[in-house]
Amino acid sequence: MNTLLSAFAEGLLSPILVPAHALTLCGLGLFIGQQTNRALAVSSFAAGLAGGLTAIALAVGPTPSRIVLLADAALIGGLVASAWAPPKPVGWLLAVIAGTALALDSPPQAATIAQGNATLLGTALGACALLLVVSAGATLATRRWQQLAVRIVGSWIAASAILVLAVMLAR
Amino acid sequence: MLRSLFYGVLLLPVTVTPALAHEGSGTGGFLGGFAHPLLGLDHIVAMVAVGLWGAFLGPPAIWILPIVFPLVMAGGGVLGILGLGLPGVEIGIAVSAIALGLMVAFAARPPILVAALLVGAFAVFHGHAHGAELPPGSDAVAYSAGFVMATGLLHLTGISFGLLARWPAGRAAVRLAGIIIALVGVVFLSRVV
Repeated sequence: MNTLLSAFAEGLLSPILVPAHALTLCGLGLFIGQQTNRALAVSSFAAGLAGGLTAIALAVGPTPSRIVLLADAALIGGLVASAWAPPKPVGWLLAVIAGTALALDSPPQAATIAQGNATLLGTALGACALLLVVSAGATLATRRWQQLAVRIVGSWIAASAILVLAVMLAR
Repeated sequence: MLRSLFYGVLLLPVTVTPALAHEGSGTGGFLGGFAHPLLGLDHIVAMVAVGLWGAFLGPPAIWILPIVFPLVMAGGGVLGILGLGLPGVEIGIAVSAIALGLMVAFAARPPILVAALLVGAFAVFHGHAHGAELPPGSDAVAYSAGFVMATGLLHLTGISFGLLARWPAGRAAVRLAGIIIALVGVVFLSRVV
């Protein structure tokens, strides 16, 4: 039971402790907070996440998920910085890609299937919780300076993601 | 008092090696990346100047410049990481301090597009220097996030100080800061040429 709990906790914390995941989730949360139809964007992310985690549970092979995740983060950060609202399906697509790539980039290091599933469940909950917290914070940013701060952070996220993509390509 | 401060700041670059920020910190992770821009006076003064100038120009420059800079800097960083050479990087960094300092000192108010292009052009040099010296084996995400964030906070420091320009005395202080930044840039330029 203890090992299951620690596996769950490991998964729960991974979206915060893995910098690429935290970067993407923060960017997506800010992006969703800037949009009007937030529920569908969050649902799209959750659907992508569920799909990706199912694929992991079914032992899918290695994928270029980290590169896709960071490219998605760069795009989302750029959109946050520009404060441009793309057509809604574009936002949903970006959310689905983020969810799927994040899940595929979170293969559990577990000894048993039960522990692996506990880690995956924790990852799903942790990712959704972080996304909701950040998007709620961005939604509350109604003052002019707060909205500008969100845009500036968006540019930081895009810049960081672009640099890391370059590092990955160079290595 | 003001004169002592002026000379003190002027002599500060003499005590450090040129382009100290671009010698590589040798450590990875968020803290390594965060510390990297803060270890070089040439980088610090240029970043603060971006914020000062943005505050001096007022909206929309006050937020456009700090958004443009990291995005273009990332482009320069990509060139550095991929090993694509950029001639005169250290000269470009020193000139950025001179040019941006003079913009603040003379309270230059070009169109926002010109200001953004100027800041963006200098951002390429700063980004290239950082990108070329990203420590191998470091956690690239944490390191990049750290140094982008430190750069952004230096902009915000400049903006905060630049907001003093709303008052006549503050305006003089901000323009004086611009002169000091330009002089620091001259010292660095003399060391790299």
